Amino acid sequence: MNKTLLGYVPNESPIYYIHPFVKLFFLLIVSLFPLFVTAPEWNIGLMLAIILLMWISRVDMRTLKIYIPIAVSMGSIILLSYTVLGGTHPEFELIVRIIGVNIYWERIRDAVIVYFRILPMIFTMVFFLTTSRERDIIVAMRSIRIPFVVTYVFAMALRSAGMVLEDFQIVRQAEQARGFDPAGKSIAYKIRQYVMYMIPLFALSLRRSEEFTNALVARGYAFTGEASRIKRPDYILTHYQFKALDLVFTVVIGLLFIILLVMHYGYNFFGMETSWLIQLLRDVVS
Amino acid sequence: MTTEVSSELTAEQIWKVEEGERRSVGVIHIVILALLIGIGFVVGAFGSISFPLGFGVNFFWTGIAVQQVGPVWFGGWGVLAGAIFPFFSNAISGTPFYVSLAYVPANAVQAFLPAWVFRRFKLDPRLRSGRDYGYLFLAMIVSSAFGALWSPLVVLKGFGLLTADSVPLFIWGWFGGNVVAGVVFNFILLKALSPVVIRTTAFVKRWWS
Amino acid sequence: MSKIIEIEDYTWKYLNTQQPALNKINLTVDEGSVIGIIGPNGSGKTTLAYSMDGLIPGQYNGIKQGFVQVFGKEVESYAKGELQRLVGVVFADPEAQFTAMTVEDELVFGMENLGMSIAEIQERLEWVTELTDLTHLLEKPPYEISGGQKQRVALAAVLAMTPKILILDEPTSMLDPLSRRRIFGVLSRLKEEQQNTIIVIEHSLENLIPLADRMALLYEGELLLEDETQPFFQQTEFLLAKGVFPPGVVKFFYELMKAGRYSGNLPLTVETAQSELVKILTGLPKQETKSN
Repeated sequence: MNKTLLGYVPNESPIYYIHPFVKLFFLLIVSLFPLFVTAPEWNIGLMLAIILLMWISRVDMRTLKIYIPIAVSMGSIILLSYTVLGGTHPEFELIVRIIGVNIYWERIRDAVIVYFRILPMIFTMVFFLTTSRERDIIVAMRSIRIPFVVTYVFAMALRSAGMVLEDFQIVRQAEQARGFDPAGKSIAYKIRQYVMYMIPLFALSLRRSEEFTNALVARGYAFTGEASRIKRPDYILTHYQFKALDLVFTVVIGLLFIILLVMHYGYNFFGMETSWLIQLLRDVVS
Repeated sequence: MTTEVSSELTAEQIWKVEEGERRSVGVIHIVILALLIGIGFVVGAFGSISFPLGFGVNFFWTGIAVQQVGPVWFGGWGVLAGAIFPFFSNAISGTPFYVSLAYVPANAVQAFLPAWVFRRFKLDPRLRSGRDYGYLFLAMIVSSAFGALWSPLVVLKGFGLLTADSVPLFIWGWFGGNVVAGVVFNFILLKALSPVVIRTTAFVKRWWS
Repeated sequence: MSKIIEIEDYTWKYLNTQQPALNKINLTVDEGSVIGIIGPNGSGKTTLAYSMDGLIPGQYNGIKQGFVQVFGKEVESYAKGELQRLVGVVFADPEAQFTAMTVEDELVFGMENLGMSIAEIQERLEWVTELTDLTHLLEKPPYEISGGQKQRVALAAVLAMTPKILILDEPTSMLDPLSRRRIFGVLSRLKEEQQNTIIVIEHSLENLIPLADRMALLYEGELLLEDETQPFFQQTEFLLAKGVFPPGVVKFFYELMKAGRYSGNLPLTVETAQSELVKILTGLPKQETKSN
């Protein structure tokens, strides 16, 4: 199994045939799709397509469970924002009035549109995180010639995030050994808990900065001066070849985006006027 | 090898670059930048997941501690980290890519203002007087107000994620979530760790070294 | 043999401390030799190691007096990154040295910093992974392997840069006895095959003694004793008074010497102790000889 940013993927997963650049390109471009699509059925289709890609990539689908509460709370907040907190709009069609709050059809419609816009954007990110190893992201960044110092800072940040999580466990166990157990306690107690964790986490990270720096300097890394201007050979890229298949995927993703833009701006496609789901919803609420 | 911490430095002396004192950007600053992003990523994601309002806006955002304390100690490196790490912590907690990207200016201002106030007014990072507390609190209020206006108003409304009528809830949520968490964490962190940090080579007196 | 490191009247005091961490140190290291540096905790061993690599004063604030010269040049006069290409340091905590995602990336990082070509990197990588037995671990994250493997990765990462001088600061402090032996096995091979100059700070004297040509004792920032390994450990009483515990065989023969039962050089290893013991036992009157 290979450890990705959000779980594990088996070694035999077909995702590893894809160059990391293609995954990054997918994230950046496909995340934009929902912004130009109003009809919810298309965004639902996109979301299902991404889920299918995750399944083909042999991602552990239980990872998606983490995002169920987030999806539910987000949906609730959008619905609340658009309905209960949507204000008074005489120009809209009133569906029902509940305890003095007006619920309008247009608000429900807009909430549904926005919600199904957000979901595929989240799924695109989740797909990227579940299929990308830390190394893949570095390779993707180096492939598009992002300066080494930027990619290295990113890699160190990921590494230090992992170490902070480990430190957190150690500090938590140490404090529990001292009888500081927040289970079943009040919010105020739990806030005090965060403070008690924060100080040692910071202190450990600061101490680690000295050790990391010594290690980097000892390995000949320099941020300024002549040593920093030496051309780096990018050995990591020798393990990844940008193949014809990668080019095909990149072109397909790019073309799909262009087609989307042409259909949206040129032919008013993907709009809510032609959406059968909106029409169905309209029939249901009225 | 032990280093004793001297409590004899005044606030003025902490920020003053002595004559002949050579300060330069080094590997330590790159490491600090990375470590702050890493710790902010974890702490910020924790806050985003634990107290969500939606779209990266939280009732109690623990990441504010890293975002505002780091820049006081590490200047521009802390500001950079403070602007960048929420992007990653929001991504993990389900905020869409371009929404997280659009938050960057708000996060940058929230990180910048406390750092600027300390350097401009020569405040003591160890928080030795009421003046230090007062100015820091003011910086937290003003910067969070900017963030609260930028993010829900410009970002979320711009992406159509909120209605105009619900924007105030998110503005207050952002503002309150940052200020309350800041009051809980920032003062304690600065008080506890500044005496150690100002003695390290990583401590930034100007903006970059 | 030429002098590769020359330390003369060197004193280093960290900022805001009362006492200097190192006080008037005089030490010379010959090219191709192996030096063991021992002393109780807080005696300045790590400070000395960092001073030879330019980490002090480069990364630390303090007051320096005297000279630390490497290849005839003061450490401060080297450009940023230049000295570290000649002197490699392996730190005590291997985990604190890892900044890459895989073992392979960790090994390659230093070579990339030097601007080596891909072909050179591949050649060095093959050599160093064979030397340290890491070939099967290249794809693994360095923080997911055992302590002994981590320290071998740390050592390999430095060796890959082909430093002329190798400094190891308590490289086996976090390892089990078997892993310790493996590390010292690598160092022995380096000594034989590459004739590297090696400076080892260690508490594990059993492994260090067979390797070291010379030993140095640091105590409260001062260099109290420095000599070839054999005469160094003849000063057992002095070493014990300074909190250094020689290997068991040395102490055993020292006690025999104190009891008037032995006179001669204190053996430093089990093998030499065995042959000395046989001499003692065969020299005893018949009724005292034990038979198996």
